[in-house]
Amino acid sequence: MRRWLGLGALLAVAFVGAVVLGPAHVALRDLASSDIVLSLRVPRALLALLVGGSLGVAGASLQALVRNPLADPFLLGLSGGAGLGAVLAIALHVAGPWALPLAAFAGALGAMALVYRLGLVGGAQLDPRVLLLAGVAVGAFAGAITTAIVSLAEAADLRNAFLWLWGGLSGASWDTVLVMAAYIPLPLVVLYAAARPLDLLALGEEPATHLGADVEPLKRRVYIAASMLTAAAVAVSGVIGFVGLIVPHITRLVWGHRHRALLPAAFLAGGALLLFADTAARVAVAPRELPVGIVTALVGVPLFAVLLRRWGGAGARA
Amino acid sequence: MRRLLLASLLAIVGCRPAPDRPATPPVAQRIVSLAPSSTELLFALGAGGQVVGRTTWCRYPPAALQVTDVGDGLNPNIEAIAARRPDLVVLYRSQLNETAATQLARLGIPSVTLAQDRLEDIGRAARALGRLTGRQTAGDSIGAAMEALLRTPAPAPIRRVAFVVWDNPPMIIGAGSYLDQLATLAGGVNVFHDLSAASATVSIETIVARNPDVILVLSDSTAPPAYSARREWRAIRAVREGRFIMLPADLFGRPSPSAPAAVAALHRMLETEAQR
Repeated sequence: MRRWLGLGALLAVAFVGAVVLGPAHVALRDLASSDIVLSLRVPRALLALLVGGSLGVAGASLQALVRNPLADPFLLGLSGGAGLGAVLAIALHVAGPWALPLAAFAGALGAMALVYRLGLVGGAQLDPRVLLLAGVAVGAFAGAITTAIVSLAEAADLRNAFLWLWGGLSGASWDTVLVMAAYIPLPLVVLYAAARPLDLLALGEEPATHLGADVEPLKRRVYIAASMLTAAAVAVSGVIGFVGLIVPHITRLVWGHRHRALLPAAFLAGGALLLFADTAARVAVAPRELPVGIVTALVGVPLFAVLLRRWGGAGARA
Repeated sequence: MRRLLLASLLAIVGCRPAPDRPATPPVAQRIVSLAPSSTELLFALGAGGQVVGRTTWCRYPPAALQVTDVGDGLNPNIEAIAARRPDLVVLYRSQLNETAATQLARLGIPSVTLAQDRLEDIGRAARALGRLTGRQTAGDSIGAAMEALLRTPAPAPIRRVAFVVWDNPPMIIGAGSYLDQLATLAGGVNVFHDLSAASATVSIETIVARNPDVILVLSDSTAPPAYSARREWRAIRAVREGRFIMLPADLFGRPSPSAPAAVAALHRMLETEAQR
């Protein structure tokens, strides 16, 4: 119980910090009436919470699915697909305020379908190792096509597509928050419902089957739901690295390997981490802003190194 | 390794003019220009006929399109450049081009590296290219015109402006860019003049707080940018009120000898905007 209260307090601090702090000065007594706070900071903080949470849960589920502690939501080719979608939208001059996120979402779903199909090459069974390899291969392939388009096409804007891909929450508004809030409950519920079978899967596919888990449908459900979460995150905020890799490991150290506790904890901790990182990105070099993906990497990599050192391979076991 | 180092050292030394040579270099007859601003400048000097290679991005003046394209010029394709048998390569000052200059020197191809980021660079570049192309008078005249422009006292501020060059992440122009200089000379006050960089990523809330009267956009289209329909951007007053000024790329897309015309055009647009 204490652990949950601690996490809740951390999240509250992160949220309040994100709303109170910013590059523009807003007096405390004006917080409730300021347009900057109401139409920019609050939706941005909510989006950080939803995206960070989604990445945390997607990372935890995928690490359990492929039984590999290095699995990251973006390792499975989704970032490559999203980047290709975004660059194609710019190169083909697809207009409209929502063109980029929709194209990135479509690209991520395309990559997901391709990786899924490749994961089934061994027959009707989804092989986690093949899934990982297919993810890396599809990601690299999409990345190569993206780079080819960028170097051959004539729009100088394409360079900026890479900036967008580095991740950032500047596209946050009440519209994006509502879309995310309406979208993510379904995959989250699917994953939470799979919490118990995921515990069994950690023992290995055969023991899990013997213990009554329906392994094949489970793997498919988890893969698709985690990918749907990641695709939505990349569409609204680009590729924000390390949240989906680090958060599951940290929460596993505190909450253990039971996914019924681990998944909600990963959601709240992912949200808190991204809130802190985004506040730092907005404030650290104000009035300039850092890409939040760089902040999560700057925080995430040393944290990850410490974790690896302290707990080695055994502690980081998924 | 040591031999390679020695060779490149010789190449660098070799491209410096020896003291006993005449001060005026021979007139370049086959020039490859690797930056849109140098290409424009060469044509403005009347040396367009001596240009035998250009980058993909060199599209102004229209006559430049007749010149052979040798690539995007960002990481110069030495082979494509050498194939044009140039007697002068004009490079834009950047890290990648330092390497290119060394490689060209190794092939015995002379090159000149010109900074072209600010308005004062244009005058200097015009004089240098004038000498190298045998158009000294034209070069000096452009140089003098640019210096005169920069000496003109800025008019009283008409409007507070922000140049938004990209929306996600939001990128604006700071004091390091020639656009900031153009704005000042035209009676605009860049609300991001305190940022020394040429461009920078900022939060939308910073733009809201600095509250520019009008948003300047580099674009040949007349329609307001797509982001103006997005809710987070509508927190900015100028976006809500639809106060955009579209700057055509030919006149504003790079620091150029037509800067006086760009300043005059922007001044008119700001005055019209102020009366809205």
